[in-house]
Amino acid sequence: MLVEFELIQKAQAGDGAAFNQVVVAYRKRILGTIARLIGRPEDVEDVAQEVFLRLYYSLDQLRTPEVFEPWLYRLTVNASYDYLRKQRRRNEARMSDLSEQQVMMADAAAGGRASSEEHRLKQVKDLVESLLGSVSEQDRILLTLKEVEGLSLKELEKIYRVNENALKVRLFRARQRVLNAFEAAHKGRTVKPVERKS
Amino acid sequence: MEHPNDGLNNAELDALFAEYKAALPDREASANFMPQLWRKIETRQNTLFRMKRLTQYFVAAAAAICMLFATMMAVPRDEVNSSYVDVLAQAYPTENLASHGILLDEADTK
Repeated sequence: MLVEFELIQKAQAGDGAAFNQVVVAYRKRILGTIARLIGRPEDVEDVAQEVFLRLYYSLDQLRTPEVFEPWLYRLTVNASYDYLRKQRRRNEARMSDLSEQQVMMADAAAGGRASSEEHRLKQVKDLVESLLGSVSEQDRILLTLKEVEGLSLKELEKIYRVNENALKVRLFRARQRVLNAFEAAHKGRTVKPVERKS
Repeated sequence: MEHPNDGLNNAELDALFAEYKAALPDREASANFMPQLWRKIETRQNTLFRMKRLTQYFVAAAAAICMLFATMMAVPRDEVNSSYVDVLAQAYPTENLASHGILLDEADTK
């Protein structure tokens, strides 16, 4: 926990200064997580503000301060998911296919042949975002939380409120879909954004 | 659970994800972050307050209309005490029916 339980309780009681401190303590982490979840730096602050806005209006529903962090993560996941869904609806074409260059750079990234570190990281970022763009929002968020954010299955259990086995299955399938997307691009086939139920 | 194809395998995918995190480290908020957040909180608070007031007005108006209708129903009205047939009988007494060409049997008049 980045803050004391008492601070959360004060914020719950309507103390604006306490709420401010909670936001200041968590905003860096939340901004980073959202940046990796949505992959669009220009909208990260808006989504983070939506998370803290939801936090402000639902803080009184939090019964035990011990579950504050998973709960904040759940708000983050939900806000990111809403953003990705809206974004997908707004611009279907944005879910870009993996370009030939990205596939080549992926090989370079895997083999460690990139020239400069910064350039290579940029390519990795583009590649991962393209791969994550080719799977559903749910898969993207789950994979990012587990593989990029490094959350444990226990933590994910609290966020998703499903048991460990179900999570393992979902993770395995999500990974397979990402690997398949890469393979399809590698073989020159087009990586299509996944079909969604309206 | 190695991927059997010639693309990425699971280990490479893990490495890619790790590098992705390095490429996108946690970031600081801009100076406007907190002021904007509080502005949004206040805007929503105002909207909620306005909606609450509108709801109160609506409930009050609905209650007043209900009371008005209840009062109208409770007040007795003379015209509804007699039926349509009674009103007709009163307007056209039996003795005047002959002038309209209606003749009654003796049995009807008894």
